Amino acid sequence: MNETTNINESAKNAADVIALKDTLLIADDAEINRELLKDIFEEQYVILEAADGVETIDLIKKNSDRIALIFLDLIMPNKSGLDVLSFMEENGYELIPVIMITGEATAMSEERAYELGAADVIYKPFQPNVVMRRAQNIIELFQHRIDLEIKLEERTRELEATRRIIENSNSFLINALSSVVEFRSLESGEHVQRVKYFTKILLKEIRKMYPEYRLTKENIRLMSDASALHDIGKIAIPDSILLKPGKLTRDEFEEMKKHTTYGCELLEKFKQEEENEFYQYCYDIVRWHHERYDGKGYPDGIGGDDIPIWAQAVSIVDVYDALVSKRVYKAPYAVDEAVRMIEAGECGTFSPQLLECFQMAKSKLFEATEMEVSYADAMIK
Amino acid sequence: MTVRECYAAMGASYEEIVGRLANDDRIKKFLGKFLNEKSFELLCSSLEERNMEEAFRAAHTLKGVSQNLAFTPLVKSVSVLTEQLRGREAYGEELEPLLQQVKEDYDKTFSLISSLLEE
Repeated sequence: MNETTNINESAKNAADVIALKDTLLIADDAEINRELLKDIFEEQYVILEAADGVETIDLIKKNSDRIALIFLDLIMPNKSGLDVLSFMEENGYELIPVIMITGEATAMSEERAYELGAADVIYKPFQPNVVMRRAQNIIELFQHRIDLEIKLEERTRELEATRRIIENSNSFLINALSSVVEFRSLESGEHVQRVKYFTKILLKEIRKMYPEYRLTKENIRLMSDASALHDIGKIAIPDSILLKPGKLTRDEFEEMKKHTTYGCELLEKFKQEEENEFYQYCYDIVRWHHERYDGKGYPDGIGGDDIPIWAQAVSIVDVYDALVSKRVYKAPYAVDEAVRMIEAGECGTFSPQLLECFQMAKSKLFEATEMEVSYADAMIK
Repeated sequence: MTVRECYAAMGASYEEIVGRLANDDRIKKFLGKFLNEKSFELLCSSLEERNMEEAFRAAHTLKGVSQNLAFTPLVKSVSVLTEQLRGREAYGEELEPLLQQVKEDYDKTFSLISSLLEE
């Protein structure tokens, strides 16, 4: 029902556009020359006439919506045909086609006319039937161009709106999914939102300082969305371990470490057929956000730049946020102390480049940590 | 006198103009308009006043009109004058014979058309 209405409306609009273009403007200082052209076209079009450049410009300004084509003489009093073309170019009248009429084939003025946007050049004396054919072709071409531009604009707007809706619902689903774990583990409620936010800040810093990682605005957005899911595998860890206030036993810790691989199992169940960038970021982050630069992390014990930069980034911000937050098993550290511990290598090892970027980003992280507003709000900006 | 005879007397091509305007009535209609065309007078007066820019434009207009109406001899003489006037800043004696030729061709064309249309 809706669709039908839309189609009818756009057909109606297109018809309006065509119906409006019912006028030809003939600019020539000799009346006879104007009459000769008028004679060809007056049955099909409303004819406007101008005898010099100033009149021509005036008529263009007043009738730009209706003019289907302009015949423009090169040499006219007051302002020349080239002056008129420059005026049109400077004032955004490029969608009105111009056929330049000239008495002589000087290569200079012809080239200049095309340069300034004339659609065609014809020479006096002109053959009426040839002029007619060329004029019709050009009018159709430009009308087609205008229609395409209108359609393209409409389509772009639709796509943009659709993209925004999809993006919003994606964010909503990711947030809902990742808060399931938090809800159960009674962690500081907004840990996931902060990791997401911090990851974005840190990746932006890395992008500035190390272009070799090929980070872009778009892939940073995907990576920071993916970071929200980093602990999704904790859903499979029993309450007795996840919620234990004291230190974990060795076995309990071994079980806890499996949240990385449990998370991957979960993701694999929903893997789509085709290569998907976002899926890859999610998978890498879930699996490797506890790896260490020296290769002593888990679950795979990979090190150095074998750990993708997005997983490295999430790893450091996860540690930072854990340090400054209150947890069931510990009180929060002060921000300065947390940064010092990370830089001193007391909470894992990180690449020198990552530490350098962390250093650069830390004032922004402080601000974010101390902000009283919800980080979810900050994310929206 | 027929339109064909008129063009023959001018030394111009009837075939060319009828190819463009299709029939004698149309040709006559535009020939009539040529009698009211002011660019020749403007050419003469602006040369007298030594207004070279205006003279060039007038010559150019007369040339364009003559081309469209296929007045072969007039096109020829006015083209020569137009090129002499293009970009020119000062009057010169050498323009005089060129103007004389244009006047001669114009007068002949004009009077032939007048008698054609009077019939």
